[in-house]
Amino acid sequence: MTANAPTTTNDQLPVGYDVPEIRRKSGRMLVTAATTALAVIVLFQTLYSAGASPYGFENWRPVMYAYILWGICVGAGQVMMHGEAGHRALFLLPALLFTIALVIFPTFFGLYIAFTDWNLSAFDPPKFNGWANLKSLMADAYYWNALLNMIYYVLAVGAQYTIAFGLALLLNADIKARKFFRVAFLLPFMLSPVAVSWMIGKSLMEYRFGPISTLARLFGWDNPAFFTTPWIARASIMVMDAWVSIPFIMILLLAGLQALPKEIIEAAKVDGATAWQSFWQITFPLMLPVSVTAVILRIIFELKLADIVINVTSGGPGGATDTVSSFIFREYRDRANVGYGTMLAEFYLVIIIIFVTLLLKLVSGRMRKMT
Amino acid sequence: MRIELYNHFTSMSRRSVLKGAAAVSALSATGALGLSTQAQSQADLRAQILQIPGVGKGQPTDADWQKVGEMCLGATKTNVKEGEFAGVELTFLGLNNQNLHNLLFRGFLKPWETYTGAKINWIDLAQADYGPRLQQAIATGTVDFDIIEMGAPFEGDVCGKGLASEMPDWVKAQIDMDDYVNYLKAPVGTWNGKTYRISIDGDCHNFNYRTDYFSDADLAAAWKAEGHEGDWGVPKTWQKVQEATKFLKGKKVAGQDAYGYLDPIKGWGGFGFYFLGSRATAYAKHPDDKAWLFDADTMKPRINNPAWVRAIQDVIDALPSEPADQLNADPGTTGFSQFLAGTGSMLSWWGDIGSNAKTNDSSVIGDTCGFDILPGSDDVYNAKTGAWDKLASGPNYAPNMAYIGWGVYVMARVDSDPAKQKAAWSAAAHIGGKDISLWCAAYPSGFQPYRNSHFNLAEWVAAGYDEAFIKSYLDSEANSYNHPNAAIEPRIPGIFQYYSAAEDELSKIWAGGSDAQTGANNIAAAWDKITDGIGRDKQIELYKASLGM
Repeated sequence: MTANAPTTTNDQLPVGYDVPEIRRKSGRMLVTAATTALAVIVLFQTLYSAGASPYGFENWRPVMYAYILWGICVGAGQVMMHGEAGHRALFLLPALLFTIALVIFPTFFGLYIAFTDWNLSAFDPPKFNGWANLKSLMADAYYWNALLNMIYYVLAVGAQYTIAFGLALLLNADIKARKFFRVAFLLPFMLSPVAVSWMIGKSLMEYRFGPISTLARLFGWDNPAFFTTPWIARASIMVMDAWVSIPFIMILLLAGLQALPKEIIEAAKVDGATAWQSFWQITFPLMLPVSVTAVILRIIFELKLADIVINVTSGGPGGATDTVSSFIFREYRDRANVGYGTMLAEFYLVIIIIFVTLLLKLVSGRMRKMT
Repeated sequence: MRIELYNHFTSMSRRSVLKGAAAVSALSATGALGLSTQAQSQADLRAQILQIPGVGKGQPTDADWQKVGEMCLGATKTNVKEGEFAGVELTFLGLNNQNLHNLLFRGFLKPWETYTGAKINWIDLAQADYGPRLQQAIATGTVDFDIIEMGAPFEGDVCGKGLASEMPDWVKAQIDMDDYVNYLKAPVGTWNGKTYRISIDGDCHNFNYRTDYFSDADLAAAWKAEGHEGDWGVPKTWQKVQEATKFLKGKKVAGQDAYGYLDPIKGWGGFGFYFLGSRATAYAKHPDDKAWLFDADTMKPRINNPAWVRAIQDVIDALPSEPADQLNADPGTTGFSQFLAGTGSMLSWWGDIGSNAKTNDSSVIGDTCGFDILPGSDDVYNAKTGAWDKLASGPNYAPNMAYIGWGVYVMARVDSDPAKQKAAWSAAAHIGGKDISLWCAAYPSGFQPYRNSHFNLAEWVAAGYDEAFIKSYLDSEANSYNHPNAAIEPRIPGIFQYYSAAEDELSKIWAGGSDAQTGANNIAAAWDKITDGIGRDKQIELYKASLGM
C-alpha cells in the first residue's frame, strides 16, 4: 500500500508515507536475525571462555564485530520498520550503541571483575571470589587512609573558592591591563598537572637547589623539605593542586559576575551601601547558583586527584598525601591486582555518587530557603 | 672461526694455497700469524671504541653511540648479508631511564638498520611503568613488541609462559656466551633447558663511598675524640655504617654538611625494595642456606624474621642523620641528585654510580669515589635454628645480586616468520655483542660489567681511567659476582607485586606510622596473600628452581 498524502503516526509525528507491511516484516526479521546471531555468538564465546565448550574464537574481537554488525542491522531495521521515524532514530542510535559499548557495558563488566580474584601474574584464570574483595577493602587501612585524605583535599576546595572569588572580583573591576591578567591567571589551568608536578614539585620546591627552598632558607627555615612531614607534604600538594584549579573556579565566577545586572549594584550605591554591604548583601547571594555549580564541579574533579600525588610523593610520607585514585593506581599498576583494584574503583564510584547526590540535595534545599 | 674466514679458506685454489703457504712462512718468521692479527684487530677495535668520546671528555651523545654501533658491526656482517632484512619491521620495548637504555640502543642499531635494511620502531618506558606494561601485555595476550629489554626476574612471567623465542646457535656463537661471568650463565636466561636471554648487564648492588670523607684528618681526630672503636675508615660492616652515619651528623666536610649512608626511602614501582634488601642480606643470607627472602619449602616470607626487622630498624635509626628530604628521595634521586652531586658519603647502588662518576656531566665526585662489595655483619641470622651465628671466618658478607641484570629477549611471535626471526635475533645480538658491551660498561649506559673480558684493567686504564679508581670499581663488581654467599634474587612470577606491597608498608614505617616488627608482619601477611593469589605450589617450585635447589 502506498499513500502520497501526509499522514500522522500513533505518536502524532508526521511522516511522508506509510511503510509497506512487507518492508515492515523484513525489517523485523532483520533485527530478529541479527539479535539472534549476536546472542548465539556471545553465548558460544562465553561458553568457550569458561571452558564449557570446545568451540569459540581465539579472542573476543569477533564479538565486537558482531556487535557493530548488529548495530548496523538494527539501524537498517528501524528504517525498514518505521520509515521516517526510523530515519530519525538513526541520529540517536549510533550514540546510544556507543554509550552502551563504552560506558554501560564496562561499568557492569567492571562490577563482574570486582568480584573476581584476577591477578595478572596468576597461573590460573580469574575466578569469582564472592565478597572476598569487599571484605579486604573494609579491612584495608591504606584505602581508608586515602579516603580520609580525600576529606582534607575536598575541604581545601573551600579555600580555593575563596581565593578564586577574590581574583574574579579583581578581574571584574576596572583595573589596568585587565585582559592581560585574565589570560595570565588562566595559564596554570592550561598546564598539565604532570608538568606542574615536575616544574613546581620536583624543581621549584626541590630541597637542594629549588628556588622556593632557597627562599625559605632565606626566611630562616633551615631544612625546607616540603614533602617529608605529613601535614607540610599534604599542604604542599594542596597548594600545587590549588594553583592548577583556582583559575577554573575563577573563570566560572567571572562569567557569573559579568552577567549580573549592574542596575541593582548601582541602586545599592545610590542608597548608600558600602562596598562590603554591596558584596555581601547583593553580589554574593546573586552569585550563589554559579558558585554552587563551580564548587560542585571542582569537588568532583578533586575526588579524582591523582597525577600530582603520583608524580611528586607517590602517596608518601607514610600515606599522608595518598589519594584514593593514586592508591588504586598502585594496586593496578604495580601489583597487577585487577580484581581487587576494580572493587576499590567501583566502591569509590558508589561513594562519589552518594556524596554528590546528598551534597546537591543539601545545597538546593539551602538555596530554596535563601531565595 | 668467523664464517667469512671459513668461506675464504674453503674457496682457495691450489695456487692461492701455495701463495698463502709462502705468506704464512714469512709471517711465522716474524711471529705475526693470522689469528694473532685477528686478536690484535679486535683489541684495536676495543681500544678505539673506548676513546669515544674518551673518559673525562664529556658525556657521550647520540653521534658517539652511532659511531660505536657502526664500528662494532663486524660480528653482524659475518652472519647477515647487506640489505638482507629489507622490508622487515621490528618493534623494540625498553626503558628510557636517565635518557639511556633505549636511547643508546637507537644509536647502536642505526648503522645496523642501514646495513641490514630493517626498520625498528621503539617503545620507551619509564622504570616505574615497565613492569605494569609488561604484565598487562602478557595477561591480555597483547604482546605488541618483537624484542624486549627485560630483567631476569620477569623470566617466570615471559619464558615460563612460552612467550619468548629460543636463541639460535649462531647467536650464541656471535655473542660469545662463554665470556659471561659465572652467575649469569645457566640457569639464568634459560627455562626448561632452553636459552632465551642475551645478557647486556650484570646487576648487583655494590658499596659506593667517598674517599675524601674517609681520609679526612679532622674527621679522624673527631672519631677518636668521641671514643669510637678502631680507626676512622671505610666501614666494612653495617654496624660500622650505622656508627659512621650517626657520627657524621652535624659535621662539615669541605664546608658542606656531612652525611653518612643514604637510604632511598620513596617507592620506585617496587625497585626501591632492593635497597632494603642490600641492607638485609648480610643479616639474612646465611652461608648454609640458599634461601633468604622466603622459606624455600613453604614460601613463608622471611621479611618479618629478626634479620629483616634488624635491617628495617637500622634504616629507622639512620634516618634522623640523613638529609632532611630523605623521606621523599627515591633511588634515582639518591644516586644521581644526591650522591653523584656530592651529598652523602655512602650508598648502595647498581654499578651505574661507578660508570657515571667520571663520565656524567653532573657528577662532582669523579676523583673522590671508591667502591667495595656491600658491607657485612658481625653476626648472621640462621633461619633454621632461629639463632644469630658468629662465623669463625669473621663478618658475614652476602652481596645482593639485585635484578640479575638486564637482558635482551626476542618474543616468540617472530618465530612464524624466518626473516623477522633472524632480524630480531641479529639486532639483539648486535647490542649484546662482546665489544659493544665493553663500551657500555665504561660509559653511562645503565649497564655494568658482566663479562670476564670486562675485567681487563689495562683496557680501562688505556681508555683514560685512573687505575686506582677503576681497580676499586671492577674489584667491587667482580668480588660481588663471584662471592660464594651471594644473595640471588628469585626469578618467580609477580616478584614486583611483592616488592610494591612492601614499599607501601615500608613508607608507613619510615614515616613513623608503625614500628619495624609490626610493619614487617604486615608485609609478610600481604606477601602470603600474593603467593596464594598467584598459586603457592607453583611459586614454591619456581623459587626452588631459581635458587638451584
